[in-house]
Amino acid sequence: MGFDALLSAAAEVASGGSFLYLLAGILLGLCFGVIPGLGGTTALALLIPVTFGMDKLDAMYLAGGVMGATSFGGSITAILLNTPGTAPNAATTFDGYPLARQGKGGLAIGAAACASAMGGVIGLFTLILFIPLAKEIVLSFGPAEFFLLTVLGLTAIAVSVRGKLLRGLIAGCLGLMLAFVGSDAITGDLRFTGGVNYLWDGIPLVPTLTGMFAISQMMELALKGGSVADKNGEVRAERIEISGVWDGVLSVFKNWTVLLRGSFIGTVIGAIPGLGGTVASFLAYSSVVQTAKDPETYGKGNIRGVIAPESANNAKDGGSLIPTVAFGIPGSAETALFLGILVLHGIDPGPSILLYHEREIYGLIVAITGAAVGASLIGLLLSRFLVLITRVDVGIVVPVVVAVSLTGVYVLDGRMADVLLTVVMGVIGYLMIRFDYPRLTLVIALVLGETAEKSFHQVQLISDGHALEFMMARPVSMLLIVATLLTFLLPIGRKMLEGARRRRATTGGL
Amino acid sequence: MNVSIKAGVAALAIALAGPALAEYPEKPVTFVVPYGAGGGFDTIARTFAPEVEKTLGQTVVPENIKGASGTRGGQAVARAKPDGYTIGIYNIPGLTVAETLGRDIGFSLNEVTWIANLAESKYAVAVKGDSEINSLEDLCALGHPIKLSDTGKDSTSSITAVIAFDILGCEIVNITGYGGSNDTMIAVMRGEVDATLKPITSLAKYTETGDLKLIATLTDETVVEGVQTTSELGHPELAKFGLNRVVGGPPNMPADVVAKLAEAFRNAAESDEIKTWADGTGTELRYLNAEDTKAMMGDLSKFYLQFKDKLQ
Repeated sequence: MGFDALLSAAAEVASGGSFLYLLAGILLGLCFGVIPGLGGTTALALLIPVTFGMDKLDAMYLAGGVMGATSFGGSITAILLNTPGTAPNAATTFDGYPLARQGKGGLAIGAAACASAMGGVIGLFTLILFIPLAKEIVLSFGPAEFFLLTVLGLTAIAVSVRGKLLRGLIAGCLGLMLAFVGSDAITGDLRFTGGVNYLWDGIPLVPTLTGMFAISQMMELALKGGSVADKNGEVRAERIEISGVWDGVLSVFKNWTVLLRGSFIGTVIGAIPGLGGTVASFLAYSSVVQTAKDPETYGKGNIRGVIAPESANNAKDGGSLIPTVAFGIPGSAETALFLGILVLHGIDPGPSILLYHEREIYGLIVAITGAAVGASLIGLLLSRFLVLITRVDVGIVVPVVVAVSLTGVYVLDGRMADVLLTVVMGVIGYLMIRFDYPRLTLVIALVLGETAEKSFHQVQLISDGHALEFMMARPVSMLLIVATLLTFLLPIGRKMLEGARRRRATTGGL
Repeated sequence: MNVSIKAGVAALAIALAGPALAEYPEKPVTFVVPYGAGGGFDTIARTFAPEVEKTLGQTVVPENIKGASGTRGGQAVARAKPDGYTIGIYNIPGLTVAETLGRDIGFSLNEVTWIANLAESKYAVAVKGDSEINSLEDLCALGHPIKLSDTGKDSTSSITAVIAFDILGCEIVNITGYGGSNDTMIAVMRGEVDATLKPITSLAKYTETGDLKLIATLTDETVVEGVQTTSELGHPELAKFGLNRVVGGPPNMPADVVAKLAEAFRNAAESDEIKTWADGTGTELRYLNAEDTKAMMGDLSKFYLQFKDKLQ
C-alpha cells in the first residue's frame, strides 16, 4: 500500500507543473542557504503567504524543495568562506574550510553534496518504515501522551540551547505566556485580550514567525551593513577554485559507515521535538571524531568531518516530519513554518493525518527526497555562481525581503493588524538576537503552549480529576515521563563528555 | 464550447424573460465563504460556483473572509450593496445559536435575504466498534456521566449533544478541545471517551471499517439499516437537529435578483456534476428555495430559543 502511494506520488512530481514548483523551491532554497543569516526559516516564512493561492500539493513541493536545498546551499558558504550559510552547517566548517584552504574545496563540496543527498534519502526511507505503523501510533497517543510530549518538547528545547539554559527557559516562558492569549480551547473564556478583538483567536502564528525570523534577521543584517562576504577579506581576494568534485562524491561511498552513522543520528534527533539540524550535525560530527582511529586529523581537513554533519543535517528532515505531521509538534523552526503551510492548506496536523492524508504525506516525502538529490545536483553545477550571492550588498537584500514578507502577511488575511504584529515580533526578535536569547524556544513554546494546556485539561476531564494516576497507568506516558527526566540530565552528561574529550584532545596534541 | 452554448442559451432565456431580468447579472458575482480555504463550507461553495455560473452566465468568485467564528464573512455580506453581486454561505445553526444566546455576531440573521438551502447533515451517536453498548439505553445506563468528545464548546455538534442528551435525560461530560472531527472519533476508538455525536456522513468512514458503531441516528426515518432513530425512541424533536449550508445576501435584495439566484442554485443542485460530487463525498443535498429557506430559518430560531437556558 505504502509503496504504491509512493510511486504515484513520484509520478505526480515528475509531471510538468509540480516539477517546476519543486525546482523553484530548490533554487530558492540554495540561494537562501548560501547567504549566511538567511536560511530555510526565512525562505519558508516568505513563502507561507505566497502559497495561499496554490494547490496544496504544489505548495508542498515548493516548501519541500526549500527545506531539502537550504542545508546544502549553506554548506557551500561554510566550506568556501568559513561562515555557515545556515546554523546547522557550522559543524561543516571544522573540516570543510581547512580543505578549501588546501585547495580541495571541490572535494569538500562534492562530498557535502553527495552526503546531503544520501542522508536525505536514508532519512526518508526511515520515515516510510514508520507509516504502516501509523494506526498503532495514533491509537497509543491520547491527550495524556500529547501533554507529556509537549512537556518533553519544551524541555528538550530549553536544554538544547548550549550553556544558555536560563535564557532558554526565559524565552520559553515568554512563548508560553503568548500562547495563553485568547479564548480558552475548552471553556471558551477570554484571557489576556485587553479588550482587543484581534486577540480573541490568540496570537496568530504566521505573523509571529515572519517577524521573529525574517524581519528580525533583516534588522540584524541592515545594522551590520556591507555585504555578507566582507568579513572574509582574505577569501574575497582569492579566485575561487572548484575542482575534484567527483572525487568528493566518491569519498562518501568509500566512507559509507560514516554516512550511515550520520544519517541515523540525524533521523533520531530529527524525530525528537525541539532538537534540530544544529544538534544533529554537531552530534554526528563529535560522534565520528570520538570513535575515529585518527582523531588528530579532524579539524585539519578530514573529509569524514564533512560527510558526517552534512548527512545528519539532511536526514533529520525525514525524522522531523514524524512529530510535525503526526502530532503537530514541530521539531525545528523550519518545521514550525512548514506546519503553518499545512494548516493554511486545510491539512490539520494530528494523529489522523497519517491515516487520511496519505496522498499529501507521500507527495511531501517525494518532494523532500527529490529536493535533497536535486539540490545537490543543481548545487554542484552552480556552486561557483552561488558563492557570488554573498557579495550582494545588504542594502539591496534587506528592503526586498522586508517588503515581500510584510506584503505577504497582509495578503494572507487582509488584516493590517497582522502586519503590525509582524513588525512588533520583528523588533522583539531583533532584541532577542542582540541580547542572545534563543528565538526558536519562544516560537516552539508558542506553538506547544496551546496543545499543552488543552490536553492537560482533557486529561483532567477524562480521568475524573486524577490526571497523575491516569498517566502513570499508561505505558507510553511512562516512557515519555522517563524521557523528559533524561532530557533534563542530558546537559550534565554532555558537559562531562566534553571534559573527557578535551582531555583526550590535549593528550593527542602532545 | 459546450459551456458557452449553454451560457448563450441562458442569456437568450434571460432576454426573452423580460427587461428587468436582463439587467442582472452583468458582472462577476462574489460568493463570500466565512471560513478558510479547504474546509467544508469552502468546498461546497467552490463546487457549486462553476455550476451556478452556467445559469447566471457570469463568473462566480468564491472569496474566503474568515475569522471570528465565521461572523466576519457574514458581516462583509451584510455591509455590501444588495444588488446581487455579493452573496455568502452561512453556517446554520451555528450562527442561529450564537444570536439566540445574545452574542454580538455583527449583523442580524433576521435581516439577511435568504436565497437557498444547499445541503443538510443529520447527526448520529457512535461508540467503539467492539463495545458492548448497542443502544442509547445501554449508553445511558453506564452508571457514570457519559463522556463525549468534541472540537469546540460552540461547535454545532457540541451544542446538539448538550441539548439532545438533556432531552434524553442522560448526564454527560462533553470533553472538547479535539483538533478536528477526525480526532474526536479517534478518541472514541482509543476508548478515552464513551461515545461521540457527529454528522452521519463524517462517521461513515469509521463505521465502514468497523472501528466505530452507530447506536442511534437523530432522524425521523431510518438512515442506516438496523440503527434506531430517535423518533422511534419517542423523541421526534431530536430530528430537528442538523447542520445546514445556507446561501444568503445583504438585507433588502430585489425580489427578481433573489429569484434569479435561487433558480441558478436549484439548477446547480440538480446538475449531474453536483449529484456525482455529493454521492462521492457523502454530502446530503437538500435544496430549498428562498421562501422555504426563510421559513426554515424562522423555525430554527424558535427551536433553539427554547434551549437558551441550557446553553448558557
